[in-house]
Amino acid sequence: MHKSFNFSDRDGLINLLTRIGRNWAIIFLLIELIFFSVTGTGYFSLLNFQNILVASTTVMLLAVGQTFVIITGGIDLSVGFIVGFSGVICAKTMVTLVAAGASQILSIPVGITVALIFGLVPGLVNGLLVAKLRVPAFIATFGMYGVAYGVAEIISGNVPVHNLPPAVGFIGNGYLLYYLPGKLSLFRMPDNLAPEELKLAVGIVPNVVIIALFLILIFTFILSRTRFGQHTYAIGGNMEAAKRAGINVSRHLIKIYMISSFFAASAGIIYVMKFVTGRADAGSARMLDAVSAVVIGGASLFGGTGTILGTVIGALIIACLEIGLVNLAIPTFNLYIAVGAILIFAVLVDQFFPEITYKK
Amino acid sequence: MVPSRQRRHLFQCLDTICIFPDLSAMKNKINFQRLVLKNWVLIFLLLLICFFSILEPAFFSIRNVNNILIASTAVLLLAAGETFVIISGGIDLSVGFIMGFSAVSSATVMQFLFAKGAGYPEPVCIIAGCLAGLLLGLIPGLVNGILVARFRVPPFIATLGMYGIANGVAMKICGGFPVSFLPPLTGKIGNGYLAYYSSKSGLSLFQKPVLTDRADILALVRLVPVSVIIVAVLLIIFGLILSKTRFGQHTYAIGGNVDAAIRSGIDVPRHLIRTYVISSFLASCAGVLLVLRFTMGNHTQFGATYELFAIASVVIGGASLMGGKGTIYGTVVGVLLLGSLEIGFVMIGVEVFYRYIAVGCILIFAVLVDQVFPDLVHNE
Repeated sequence: MHKSFNFSDRDGLINLLTRIGRNWAIIFLLIELIFFSVTGTGYFSLLNFQNILVASTTVMLLAVGQTFVIITGGIDLSVGFIVGFSGVICAKTMVTLVAAGASQILSIPVGITVALIFGLVPGLVNGLLVAKLRVPAFIATFGMYGVAYGVAEIISGNVPVHNLPPAVGFIGNGYLLYYLPGKLSLFRMPDNLAPEELKLAVGIVPNVVIIALFLILIFTFILSRTRFGQHTYAIGGNMEAAKRAGINVSRHLIKIYMISSFFAASAGIIYVMKFVTGRADAGSARMLDAVSAVVIGGASLFGGTGTILGTVIGALIIACLEIGLVNLAIPTFNLYIAVGAILIFAVLVDQFFPEITYKK
Repeated sequence: MVPSRQRRHLFQCLDTICIFPDLSAMKNKINFQRLVLKNWVLIFLLLLICFFSILEPAFFSIRNVNNILIASTAVLLLAAGETFVIISGGIDLSVGFIMGFSAVSSATVMQFLFAKGAGYPEPVCIIAGCLAGLLLGLIPGLVNGILVARFRVPPFIATLGMYGIANGVAMKICGGFPVSFLPPLTGKIGNGYLAYYSSKSGLSLFQKPVLTDRADILALVRLVPVSVIIVAVLLIIFGLILSKTRFGQHTYAIGGNVDAAIRSGIDVPRHLIRTYVISSFLASCAGVLLVLRFTMGNHTQFGATYELFAIASVVIGGASLMGGKGTIYGTVVGVLLLGSLEIGFVMIGVEVFYRYIAVGCILIFAVLVDQVFPDLVHNE
């Protein structure tokens, strides 16, 4: 009796541990939210949560693209500088068009399209190098990291690109809904507001978040529900087996690096829309965050595992921390320490409970 | 009818006789190709020096060679440490920030002792600061090594984490501002030269001759910067450790085949920890040297991408990221290639950013040479 009781007790404990191990990231996120809500001022508010989401968009986009690459067993170090590269191209195109007399409505979509198209080029080159010429992913994308940064600095002439059409900021800093007691309006502030009323107006759902969410949902679907996604996991799990099973691995890898590059380019465009400037070093510090978010989200650098949901949670952990530290007036450089520590912690959890976290 | 076996033998003999001259020519050609490909970095470096010297004659002068060497000191040390790690099959992304961390901590100690100053003479402040920087700089490497070797965290992740942590701690120590007001002697050591030669006062060691005439001051020849001597001594020591000692042999063995290394009785985790500590130690030497040169300690900027230049030099120098291959000599040539490129671009008036593009391209090219001609490059 006693013995069997002990046994089931241990089983229960293992079950509990399993659950915690499997979901430690989301538990960590909740603890973080509770901690900052209790200690910070105004942390637990709609406005602040929206700020967190806006702050997390860059990392989230980069990390979602990175998820694809990491699942295939590769790594993309160039994303940080592709952000700057595509941002500068986007801004420069818009400025040139506006200076040439084109209207805002024309120049903004053209700038975005040009940036997206050029943003795919680094990914294509990365993919060709990795898949066709068998350069290790680390080196190929590390080379691209230098190249993309250099090209971006040359295009921008080492100064931020200014004088963009004002509508850019209107999109990037706008909200889907504006709420005033008694009034609700889509996309733009209600006209003719008194200053007191202006203070009360609340923006709900930032445009930037909608764009990011839209992209992320599409690619979540692609990763988890389509053959393309299944092939991605297959390549990361066992490349030889994937080849034998008839997957065109090199073509698939090129597409994967282009997806990563596409996300980085989108993040660059969103940066331009948010800050109404294009800077070559816009995303330079974000490479660490992006890789961290993916690894915190449960992906293995050896490939074959990882989900976009996990990555999104990882990105949110970093963003909550960032905003939380600012809220508590703790200098931001503590963020670097914290992110580094959480990253190592994430892998250690992976190492100590491998059978727990990976068990389906 | 000749029996078939004999016939075959006959043909073989004929083949040998006929082809022999051709064969030796081909062998020579292959040998030559191999020589060129094995030393392509050195050849590239020489071509680059010729190219810049033709475009800008001042490139080929003692002063400029000194400049290139001085500008390369930090990356030389970082890359030498990185060589050990890469040969063992790992990677160390944190070197740049460890450099900043040790620079900041050593400068802070110097500043503290110097400001309190009454009792402490300058040399004591400087030595204490350097020692503090070097000792504290070992900690990140120790942590990296323990994470990689004992907890089996992939080196990429462990050192990426340390990249954030070291940067954060460095910024925390210095508050985001350079640590200055150090003893003036610091700069004299870091920016000194082994010998000065002037037509008026002749050759003088360490001490800069006192010259009054402006023309004489301009004509003063400075030979062998002190910082370069320090780096050269360190490089020679660690080069010998890598190539001549059992420690070095074990490093190659681990990188070549970890399982075989474990089976042959090498204590792999302990060895790996030491490898990361070496990398961290050389990075902190670089940090201390920066303090000596600039008379202030600053944290490493995010955009500085020291790890790019360090890793790129190692790979350009012929190391493989899969481990087991690489030499300090190759790494030094790689660093000098990137250093000459940087100074050369500045001198011929090309924007500095082309350097990033050039580094990226050369890096990828280096790996491609490795991939496309594996037999030529690998066969010893």
